[in-house]
Amino acid sequence: MLLTDNLSFAIHNIASFFMPNPSVPLVFSSGTFWMMFLVFLPIFACIRHRKMQMMLFVVAFSLFFAFKSCGWIFLLMVATSIIDWQLALRISKLEGKSARKWMLVVSLLCSVGILVAFKYTNFFLQSWHEMLGGNFQPLSIIAPIGISFYTFRTISYVVDVYKEKMPPVEHYLDYLFYLSFFPCLVAGPVVRARDFMPQLERDSAVTKAEIYGGFWLVLRGVVKKAIVADYLAQYSAIIFGSPETLQGYSGFELLMAALGFTVQLYADFSGYSDMAIGLGSIMGFDLGVNFDHPFRSLNITEFWRRWHISLSFWLRDYVYIPLGGNRKGKVRQYINLFLTMLIGGFWHGAGVTYVIWGAIHGIALVVHKMCMPWLKKIPDNWPVKVISGLVTFLTVMLAFVFFRAESFSEATTILSGIFTNFDLAYLPPFVSVRYVWCIMLVLLLVAHFVPVRIYDGLKEWFVESHWLFKLSIFIIVVQLVLQFASSDVSPFIYAQY
Amino acid sequence: MRRTYFGLFALLVVAFSIFAGMSFFSEDFEEECGLKTSSFASDLFSHSFADLTSSDTIPGLLRSKSTSGVTEAAPLDTTKKNILFIGDSMLERLSPRFAAYAEENGHQMNTVIWYGSTTEVWANSKRAAEKIKTYHPDFVIISLGGNELFIKDIITRRSKFVKEILSEFGKIPYVWIGPPNWKEDTGINKMLQSIIPEGNFYLSYTPDQHYDRSSDGAHPTAASAAKWADRICRWIMNQSNHPIVLNVPKKEKARCHTECFGMSDDGDKPAPKAAKTPAAPAQKKAAAPAAAPQPAAPAAQPEVAPTNTEN
Repeated sequence: MLLTDNLSFAIHNIASFFMPNPSVPLVFSSGTFWMMFLVFLPIFACIRHRKMQMMLFVVAFSLFFAFKSCGWIFLLMVATSIIDWQLALRISKLEGKSARKWMLVVSLLCSVGILVAFKYTNFFLQSWHEMLGGNFQPLSIIAPIGISFYTFRTISYVVDVYKEKMPPVEHYLDYLFYLSFFPCLVAGPVVRARDFMPQLERDSAVTKAEIYGGFWLVLRGVVKKAIVADYLAQYSAIIFGSPETLQGYSGFELLMAALGFTVQLYADFSGYSDMAIGLGSIMGFDLGVNFDHPFRSLNITEFWRRWHISLSFWLRDYVYIPLGGNRKGKVRQYINLFLTMLIGGFWHGAGVTYVIWGAIHGIALVVHKMCMPWLKKIPDNWPVKVISGLVTFLTVMLAFVFFRAESFSEATTILSGIFTNFDLAYLPPFVSVRYVWCIMLVLLLVAHFVPVRIYDGLKEWFVESHWLFKLSIFIIVVQLVLQFASSDVSPFIYAQY
Repeated sequence: MRRTYFGLFALLVVAFSIFAGMSFFSEDFEEECGLKTSSFASDLFSHSFADLTSSDTIPGLLRSKSTSGVTEAAPLDTTKKNILFIGDSMLERLSPRFAAYAEENGHQMNTVIWYGSTTEVWANSKRAAEKIKTYHPDFVIISLGGNELFIKDIITRRSKFVKEILSEFGKIPYVWIGPPNWKEDTGINKMLQSIIPEGNFYLSYTPDQHYDRSSDGAHPTAASAAKWADRICRWIMNQSNHPIVLNVPKKEKARCHTECFGMSDDGDKPAPKAAKTPAAPAQKKAAAPAAAPQPAAPAAQPEVAPTNTEN
């Protein structure tokens, strides 16, 4: 009886595996994903060299990935991809400038309109109800997974075709492959079509360095996301989002929360990017670099060249430059910079805290640009570099307090607590109670400053190492994830944007 | 190329087999080596709680139900009660209304609010037993679970804590108030429903219940919490397993003896603040260090998922 019960439960659970579950995010560090990948990999290996079969299989897998993450709403992505693919084809064939422009406008309105509808409907409705003085219960809206990120890719593709920076994609399957490619689906990197599409024509075999180098990146990402970020998140979750208890914390504890969240977000997002890029590499696709040691930045401009690179370059090419960039004088350049960051902030969420976050970065970028002539006169020595790095880091950290806080007052309470109630006497008891948290924080910051060549050497060494060694490393990493895992559902932070 | 791919595939298969195999002996590994295992076996063989219906039965897990399927109404207990009201931050706004009910109907009430608390910290700290020893209640109301809405694999992780808390109540009649979700949970309500007898569990997340939220988006507003309390009291008096007299009070709210614990309190700390008032903002500083610096202890971390998962 027990055996039949267990068997029926197992069958039921395996069947439910194929059903969508938007409440449990499908992240690359989850067991569910790895079970799916275990089925995916041998089939992919057999058909990698047969382009059509490979593409059909990967598209099917990617769409199932999307279906499992958000349900049938993933079909919206398929529908909009057909529209944008067709519009791009027509743009390339049309001669008239205005007709081409209209096609572009239709495509942009369609893409941005859908994004706005899914992301900001609740915000607009709430604002409307507040104006009328009524109560508002937010609508339960489930958006297609990664809607922001595939919208960015769609926009970049159509604009690039319009500007004749790339030819249109002739076959719809190629375009759907690009748009739904599962490693980039949830949260990027925002790979441009002009960089990605040529890789589809690749004839050469995927090398051992790509496969195991990609696997190394995935492991690095898992360590960052599932061990460091998720562990650090536990303390941030106590401080942020609990306005009723904020007054009870010392300035030192609040500073640690701000510092912890800054490092957590980096570990979370760069870890996820590593996993995505690594999976792409295993499949023979180069998805570029998304994070390049951002905390090494000596100024805020450099920070944005190292942090979420694919998005910041996207904002530069498709927002800042169309606004006029630096072509219309200094004042206009500053306004464009500020507006670009403000839009970047608003994209993260329709809340005042995100807008302030964007505004802080916008102001910092403007101030840096304004001070450039003066900054160039300062000697380029170690003390100056340390101070520059610290100022940049503190600016980023300050902005992230607004990014993480659930309200403006929560952010200001935290910041005022840091500045008015700071006492280093809290350091020893804090470290003694949260020593693992402190060790993780320090280790990640130290690892951040290890020279790149050492990481490259380690990667090469891993690629060439014995199979059993690789297996041991994988088992150790997975066991560490299990040991440190909290019982919470710890979604990838940027999956919500 | 294929060879390398199959090398990687073999590596994943071996690792998967090891972890899947270990998951069948999770308790042994955890007890003997301190090694945590994956949830593969429990995911595969446990009944999916998301699909549980009231008619489902899992041996040793689900509560017994009357054979007729109809819950018989218990007689109204008209004696004056010494009520102990315990739970998480939801009590902050529930308690004043409950206190009004208690005052109106001649009951005595003590409230213990543990901010950010979960079934795990209550069970591990044995605080419920401690408070029962302190206040000698003859009726317990507990509102807990709001910080566990998004716990993954909740049945294997949390049922034992719920059972532990219930065991601390002993034979004292009790009512467990389920969390008033603001969005779909990952199984806390279903789990509580499955462990707690029908007339002892008040389900706050039903289609006909709507509570306006305060600025944090999670806790009901004071007015909404009062409506919530009204519904619960009506249910206790008319439908619970141990109905007590809870006629609607004339006063909107009242005061009662209230103890507050901060979310950093792990249960081993010295006596907390107590006041003859409903939870006031000043009491929320229970986590604040007094004379000596005392940072937040890790044992009582809130377990609400740090971010919204919706796109």
